[in-house]
Amino acid sequence: MKMQRSDEWLNTSQNEPRGYIQPQKLDELWFHTGTNCNLRCPFCFEGSKPGDNRIEFLTLKEARGFIDEALELGVKKFSFTGGEPFVNPEFIQILDYALEHRPCLVLTNATEPLMNQIGEVLPLRDKPNPLNFRVSLDHPDPVKHDESRGRGNFRKALDTLGRLHRGGFGVSIARQMLTDEDSDTVDQAYAPYFENAGVPANLLIIKFPEFHLPGSLPQVAEITESCMTRFISPEQRATFMCSFSKMIVKKNGQCGVYACTLVDDVENYDLGNTLHDAMKQRVLLGHHRCYSCFAGGASCSEGS
Amino acid sequence: MNTLTVLNVIFITDELFELQVERGDVQFEPGACVALFNNGDESRPYSIAAGSEEDILRFLIRRVPNGLVSDWLAQRKPGDLVQASAPFGWFRPGRSVNGERSIFIATGTGIAPFLSYLRSYPLQIPELCLYGVRRLEEGFNLKELQNLYNFRLALSQEEVSSHFHGRVTGLLELIPLATDIHYYLCGLDTMIDETSKWLEDHGVAYTQIHREIFFYEDATL
Repeated sequence: MKMQRSDEWLNTSQNEPRGYIQPQKLDELWFHTGTNCNLRCPFCFEGSKPGDNRIEFLTLKEARGFIDEALELGVKKFSFTGGEPFVNPEFIQILDYALEHRPCLVLTNATEPLMNQIGEVLPLRDKPNPLNFRVSLDHPDPVKHDESRGRGNFRKALDTLGRLHRGGFGVSIARQMLTDEDSDTVDQAYAPYFENAGVPANLLIIKFPEFHLPGSLPQVAEITESCMTRFISPEQRATFMCSFSKMIVKKNGQCGVYACTLVDDVENYDLGNTLHDAMKQRVLLGHHRCYSCFAGGASCSEGS
Repeated sequence: MNTLTVLNVIFITDELFELQVERGDVQFEPGACVALFNNGDESRPYSIAAGSEEDILRFLIRRVPNGLVSDWLAQRKPGDLVQASAPFGWFRPGRSVNGERSIFIATGTGIAPFLSYLRSYPLQIPELCLYGVRRLEEGFNLKELQNLYNFRLALSQEEVSSHFHGRVTGLLELIPLATDIHYYLCGLDTMIDETSKWLEDHGVAYTQIHREIFFYEDATL
């Protein structure tokens, strides 16, 4: 499905031209492996849970086509998110193929699906390109983490984080960011857990604000074309994920190229079936999560 | 999404039952789960207990008081329809690589994936199968399991001659330890944690231990 160009979409509610990003290059290609997940976290902005099929499992054949096309466009990195990627039955094969060509990043909850397959994952350290894992550790308090993710899952995720680090992979964590938090203090609170897991104390911590459930419509300011030119420099616009990345999403049996990792619940962000076509299209900043990027520079990327 | 017709609901106690549904064209490997839905959009994953060549699907379910899905499933009658996801999963008991051996350890309804395996591959039996329940009446398919020469049942809340009295983790010393054995654990989280730690403490490689947690609660099995 191509992006629709209705007036309502092109303009804000005040009838001003909506802000947009003109994609510049494809540095990073994300793949959504499917919303099926072993966990059922109430805050999940993807709405993922066991058996969920809103976004379907990507197959190796489908992923290969986009990997090959992305290589033609000069992609520097492949990244994978879910759901839980290791629930996808073809994920390790997909990763194996991607690692033949470029460095890869996998977002994971690091619980049973990965734990049970770690014997198949460890040999991937011998591939031509490095593999990094970003493990979800929502809070530096195991009780708070487990309230949403299930009892014992902080300990399991931390244990797996350590095993991945010792196995020779790069690791980082993702956590939730509260609006009134002292970020440095929160980050520092992870230090004793990192020490116990045997990972570096200065491990990269990616912070995410509240993104709300899929399909939700929280009230946020609208981003106009004027906002994007008056307050955001060309250099800053180039750091928006939709400027340098895309995401592959499979719905209703068909893969589409979406503008970024956070907007797969709005069909206007389906930019077509090929990366070549998608890269030509302006990305209108009309999703409430676009405001997170605008206001806070939220990014799923870790750079190349 | 699949729509499956209920064939039977067989209670073995007030809270434990086997749900049998028509298979349709569902394809699966032993260890696979299916998310079963209630009459709304709530779902819970249940492991398939049927063999991969059977014409029906079987699920072993514990009725959770006021549970959104299990309670609704418990009230189904033959001919009712149940919505189900496609099979999925990350637990593959007995999936042998290079002829490696297997050991199964289960509590409660966690026996389901192992029953599926045993029914699918009746000639590829595990080295040992340990099963823990509270009372004898709570054991699913015991006659079938007791045909295995290497099956041991642990009853934590009942003394019955010929069965071990205590939690299933009281039988860990029976487990053979070797580098070519894979250890598959399914059921209660505390059993899985304790058994995993015991295995690692006894030199079993982490990559040889496979886990599937079915329920979290105070350890009673």
